Amino acid sequence: MTKDDVKTLARLSRLAFTDEECEAFLPEMDEIVAFAGTVNSEIEGDTSTVRLSSDEMKFDDLREDEILPSLPSDKILSNVEGDDGYFTVKRFIK
Amino acid sequence: MRALIEKAAGMLRRGEISSVELTKAYIEEIKKGRAYNAYVFETFDTALEAAREADRRIAAGDAGILCGIPFALKDNICTDGVETTCCSKILSGFRPYYSATVYEKLLSCGAVLLGKTNMDEFAMGSTSETSCHGAPLNPRDTGRVTGGSSGGSAAAVAAHLAAFALGSDTGGSVRQPAAFCGTVGFKPSYGAVSRYGLIAYASSLDQIGPLTSSVSDAAIVFDAIRGKDSRDLTSKDIFFGKTNLTGDVRGLRIGYVKEYFDGLDPEISGAIDTAIKAYVKAGAEVVKLSVPELPATLPVYYIIACAEASSNLGRYDGIRYGARCKNYTDVDDLITRTRSEGFGKEVQKRIMLGTYVLSSGYYDAYYKKACEMRSRIRTRFDSVFSSCDVLFAPVAPSCAFPLGYAAKNAMDTYKSDLYTVPVNIAGLPSVSLPCGATKDGLPIGMQIIGNRFDDERVLSVAYYMEREHVFDLEEVEGGGAL
Repeated sequence: MTKDDVKTLARLSRLAFTDEECEAFLPEMDEIVAFAGTVNSEIEGDTSTVRLSSDEMKFDDLREDEILPSLPSDKILSNVEGDDGYFTVKRFIK
Repeated sequence: MRALIEKAAGMLRRGEISSVELTKAYIEEIKKGRAYNAYVFETFDTALEAAREADRRIAAGDAGILCGIPFALKDNICTDGVETTCCSKILSGFRPYYSATVYEKLLSCGAVLLGKTNMDEFAMGSTSETSCHGAPLNPRDTGRVTGGSSGGSAAAVAAHLAAFALGSDTGGSVRQPAAFCGTVGFKPSYGAVSRYGLIAYASSLDQIGPLTSSVSDAAIVFDAIRGKDSRDLTSKDIFFGKTNLTGDVRGLRIGYVKEYFDGLDPEISGAIDTAIKAYVKAGAEVVKLSVPELPATLPVYYIIACAEASSNLGRYDGIRYGARCKNYTDVDDLITRTRSEGFGKEVQKRIMLGTYVLSSGYYDAYYKKACEMRSRIRTRFDSVFSSCDVLFAPVAPSCAFPLGYAAKNAMDTYKSDLYTVPVNIAGLPSVSLPCGATKDGLPIGMQIIGNRFDDERVLSVAYYMEREHVFDLEEVEGGGAL
């Protein structure tokens, strides 16, 4: 892993890292990625038929698809900036 | 181990104490015990209101065993109108507008919420030191960590600051702090308890469970919170009626998996061996088994948990919940700066690892391999439980770490989850309970692990330890409200 890899990962993760922070974070990321990579020494061969976690969850007892009341928007907006039933951010386009 | 809930419920029923008096006594204990940093939000006013209502129900004869009993909730369990922050700056000030199913169930029983407990930020850690509120302290030795991530809940129960508490367990976060603080911690089978309203870390591994002073208390709380919930499609009704704690161990087949004990600290393995001998004396037999995949469960856990976390934590954008950065220039800047200022370094590291293992080019080598390994581990445990009824295993390779150890030894701390993560990967039930103490007086915990949805047997086998006083850990001084 390189400093640029850390920078790319930070961007994909929507996190802001300066060059210095990427440099400082590199050894830790290197260490944990190497540790995660040990899974490869445990598994050999083709995994193309592997079932992923989501496949293992069986949703065979679904509830009726009924319309239920929504959460009240005033309660939802009580936590954050909002106005007239909408989340708001400051104006970007003039 | 003390069966506190039954004792308190009996006193309430006989009129020897009221719920208001009991709640006030716990509030006094919490005030005296603030140095433990177990609670991050206290709800004393609403607790006293709830206690008054509980007293009315008890007087009217409309009360179950939990009516009027004061409890605490981990800070990642949503409580309508009560701050719930996952001990993260990014959720500071967040008051949920709905309640978790487990909280609704406890409220309907008449239980009394005392407050929200400290934890690792977003439940990511094994010491509770990544909390934005600072670490809770272990009531057994305040120079040591409580364990984590449900460290505040374990400290609250151990120091008698709540009759019981709920935590969540993604890779050992109920069982390990229970072991470090000398309490009981029960991680139910995946699906036994609804996760609705539990703020997600890794959805395919997360499970809510009780931390209590005794196995019988754990069974009472488990009975109150379990069951199918239409708002969590992974939840199931696993059995009906009250959990039956027979404590009968005649003919019990105890699985002894050698990989759990290879190289284990002799003080810890010695304590578990002593417990096993007590069971054998009572008519149980030991079956020696092997789970060669055990060491591989750790990278599998970190890959799957971080992959799911990177997706689950994508929702924190500074727009819909909690904190928002100041002086942003556009939407991308708003999101990126809010997340960078709001998430601590451990959370950022796990999001980035999760992003890495899911990214194009690495997905097959990491995430897919981990899923393959998860399938193999599940199959292995299916086979193990065809040869035995329960497994006895350690909870952690050591007792509670000194404060500050994890920050200097990150990889060693990750590796200390080795004995707890297999249970989450396979979706099994497991109870952690005290089985000994070190020469320095620190508690040693052990796990009793069962097959999926064999929760009742796990608790019943553990109850034998309690009923027969196989090992009784000394109480933390302070006495508590009872």
